[in-house]
Amino acid sequence: MQPDSAVLLAVLAIPFVGAALVPLVHRVLGERTAYYAATIAALCSGLLISQYERWGTVTVEWIPALDVSLVLYLDGLAFLIGLLASGIGVLVFIYSGGYMHGEPGQAKYYTTLLVFMGSMLGVALVVDLLSLFVFWELTSVASFLLIGHYQRADRSLYASRKAMFITVSGGLFMLIGFLLLGHISSFVLDGSTFTLIGTEQSLIGIPGEVTHAEAIRHELVERGLFVPVIGLIAIGAATKSAQIPFHIWLPDAMEAPTPVSAFLHSATMVKAGVYLIGRFRPLFVPEHVFAAEVWTWLFVGLGLATMTIAAMLAVSATDIKELLAYSTASHLGLIVAGFGFAETVGAETGAFHILNHAAFKATLFLVAGIIAHEAGTRSIDALGGLRHDMPIVAAITAVASLSMAGIPPFNGFYSKELLFDAAWETAHHFGGLTWLLPVVAVFGSIFTFLYSIRFLWLFFGDRPTELGEIHRPPLAMLLPAGVLAIIVLVLSLGAAPIAHDFVNPIVKSSLIATPEGYHFSVHLPHALKPPVLMSVVTIAGGIAMYPFYDRLHHGIRRLRSIALLSPNQYYDRGITGIAHVSDVVPRYVQTDLMRTYAAVVMSAVSVFALGGYLLGGTGTDLTEAVSGVNLALPITIILAVAVVGALAVDRAPSHIAGVLTLSILGFTVAVFYVLASAPDLALTQLVIETLVLVLFLLVLDRLPAFYGELRRGRAILDGLIASGVGLTVTITVLVTTAADPSDGIAHFFVEKAPVPAEHGTLITDAGGGNNIVNVILVDFRALDTMGEISVVAMAALAILTLIGMRNRGERA
Amino acid sequence: MTEVVLAIVLGALYALGTFLVLRRDVVRVVWGVTIISQATNVYLVTMGGIHGSIPIVSHGGGGHHAVTDPLVQALVLTAIVIGFGTTALALVLTYRLYQEHGTLDLQELATTEESQ
Repeated sequence: MQPDSAVLLAVLAIPFVGAALVPLVHRVLGERTAYYAATIAALCSGLLISQYERWGTVTVEWIPALDVSLVLYLDGLAFLIGLLASGIGVLVFIYSGGYMHGEPGQAKYYTTLLVFMGSMLGVALVVDLLSLFVFWELTSVASFLLIGHYQRADRSLYASRKAMFITVSGGLFMLIGFLLLGHISSFVLDGSTFTLIGTEQSLIGIPGEVTHAEAIRHELVERGLFVPVIGLIAIGAATKSAQIPFHIWLPDAMEAPTPVSAFLHSATMVKAGVYLIGRFRPLFVPEHVFAAEVWTWLFVGLGLATMTIAAMLAVSATDIKELLAYSTASHLGLIVAGFGFAETVGAETGAFHILNHAAFKATLFLVAGIIAHEAGTRSIDALGGLRHDMPIVAAITAVASLSMAGIPPFNGFYSKELLFDAAWETAHHFGGLTWLLPVVAVFGSIFTFLYSIRFLWLFFGDRPTELGEIHRPPLAMLLPAGVLAIIVLVLSLGAAPIAHDFVNPIVKSSLIATPEGYHFSVHLPHALKPPVLMSVVTIAGGIAMYPFYDRLHHGIRRLRSIALLSPNQYYDRGITGIAHVSDVVPRYVQTDLMRTYAAVVMSAVSVFALGGYLLGGTGTDLTEAVSGVNLALPITIILAVAVVGALAVDRAPSHIAGVLTLSILGFTVAVFYVLASAPDLALTQLVIETLVLVLFLLVLDRLPAFYGELRRGRAILDGLIASGVGLTVTITVLVTTAADPSDGIAHFFVEKAPVPAEHGTLITDAGGGNNIVNVILVDFRALDTMGEISVVAMAALAILTLIGMRNRGERA
Repeated sequence: MTEVVLAIVLGALYALGTFLVLRRDVVRVVWGVTIISQATNVYLVTMGGIHGSIPIVSHGGGGHHAVTDPLVQALVLTAIVIGFGTTALALVLTYRLYQEHGTLDLQELATTEESQ
């Protein structure tokens, strides 16, 4: 059954409309705006849930003339991401009501969060790549605003700029990839398309009915674009999902208020990258899964490296939110690696872990917020034994962190098991060095186990004496965390039926072809298969290494302090370099000297025009053109006088001499108009030239006879620029006069005024005059003439003001 | 029909005007702008053809083709008047500049501004 287009559009529109109303609502409700926002989120998730299993495509015509339409596509994966955005949104808004109590800038906070939620729903539902890009970047902008919520703090400014810089520039790489795909599609389909999936003419086609993926892949390989396109899209996904080496923005992003960290930087926005990988998987992975070598090695390598390194970094963290941030990057790495494995079990890993991770990590972030809020510190060393003060929070944390550690029977165990299975299968198939994959997976998982237990240990052990009084958390904060913990429990205990019913369509979204009778299922292991063995090694290794946690912590910190190994160093140095460039460049281009600006503009015009003629050709044979000189002698003489006049202006020894020779030029131009059959122009020119002469003389009377000394070097340089401009103009005039446009607007006027004898009706009867130029000016283009008069009037007013102001004096 | 003489003359006028615009003396810059706008007007008239007869109905010569483009002339007429407005404003600005700063040297003006 097709989804209801009105409902899907409403899901997209409601958050934005709601966001626009927040300033008004905030005036009325104040801090209770949180519950208004939560209602909107609940409405969105309700509408979305009403469309459950109505998988299909909705096309909304947007600009039919340009073939632009909004294509919405609902399947398991889109539903999951949309549900995370709206469902966790409800809990985060309620939690914000407690957490943001008394904080500044609440209207802005809720507006931005709602805009973010809308954009994230857009990312999930829209399959037109250009619209997807717009929503994608909107989430980056929202994230920028939310990280920088405390606008006065230097650290949050640094963090928000870093996140913006990395994610937005990654998005631009992705856009290039999208454009290449659109270009390629025109060779395979009827006309180019940016629709990824869900319509007849889309890149992937309709799953189970039409498929173009094979042809598109073939075309990409033919044109040598296969690796570039995957690479560009991977950069977009890696920056958004904080994969190594772009992970550095995520720990800094923890400057944001904790609900934001829980929502954007663990459950939803950072999932956009992995969502993209899952979405594109059917396009780039062939049916014979082990043939997808580029895809496999790129994403498995990226994912496993991120998973392991970020897990080690989490062990080295000193702040609870920093620990969770690195852990988020690590788990995103696990999902990326999962989607990277081309077998079915790879898609299972990715799909199931998106769900599991969102549940347990959002819980832990909310717990971290509670700890920071009630204990007043986020330092791991300063915290301990919190179970005495917050027993309920301790239980919640136990559920979530044991799930994160991957301990059976919690849900995190299942997805980790699937990853081990995928790694083992791939290594088994390829052999050789690929046996490193399961080894690295286990190695990374041991660190995951270590920091998960460390986080849980905040609630156990001894309570440090310097830790002050700890309040019970308010209900608004406790409730969302509790709900999430219950969800984790449900996912854990009901893993088998949930996987069978709910996760199955999600997995199918990123499957290449669904094998006959395929159904996703998980169950607790009852035989000692390799993945189970790997889990045993992980847990045993973790328990064995936990006593040495502090040593590991310090060891990794020492490694981190090596400048060469730190991507942060490169980022900071790069930014400093860019800032330095922006410091230096204006000194050369913005000199406060008019001659710099004029020289740059004029040389640029000449260079571009001449370059254009050279590259594009002029369309006429200039040598032939030059051979025919056909100008009457009087005009030639008068033009020669004009040039001599202008030359005299350039060489004028005083201002008076210059003005007089400038008049020579002006009057010869008037004579030229006479000879060129333009009597009206000649008359106007004579009047204006006289006026200008008088005006110059009046003003010069008040000015000194200053004339800047001409330095030789400067004169030569300026002479070169001037000659360049002259050459450009000469060639342009030759080219344009050689052209002979057959019909112009001018013909209209000439034809309406048949010359000589018939005496056209329009010019004489309607225009009431014989002079075509005059009739044009006062009848056909009367508005132009009025504009001209107003310009002169404006100039007169400006002059009056300039002179008048002087007399009144400025009190500066 | 290519206008070789006009092409050379216009090139020369533009070159001379540009050279003036690049000077330090504000008055010379105003001259340069004036020369360039004069040259532009001549260029536009040239584009309309300068070999026809005058575009006045009762004065037309023989033959249908023989009239210069009236539209371009109307355009240039407007341009001449507006050019006058611009020049006048530029001159008064120059005058005020001298009264405020006591100099017409753009170089000097730039350096004093920086030191402030």
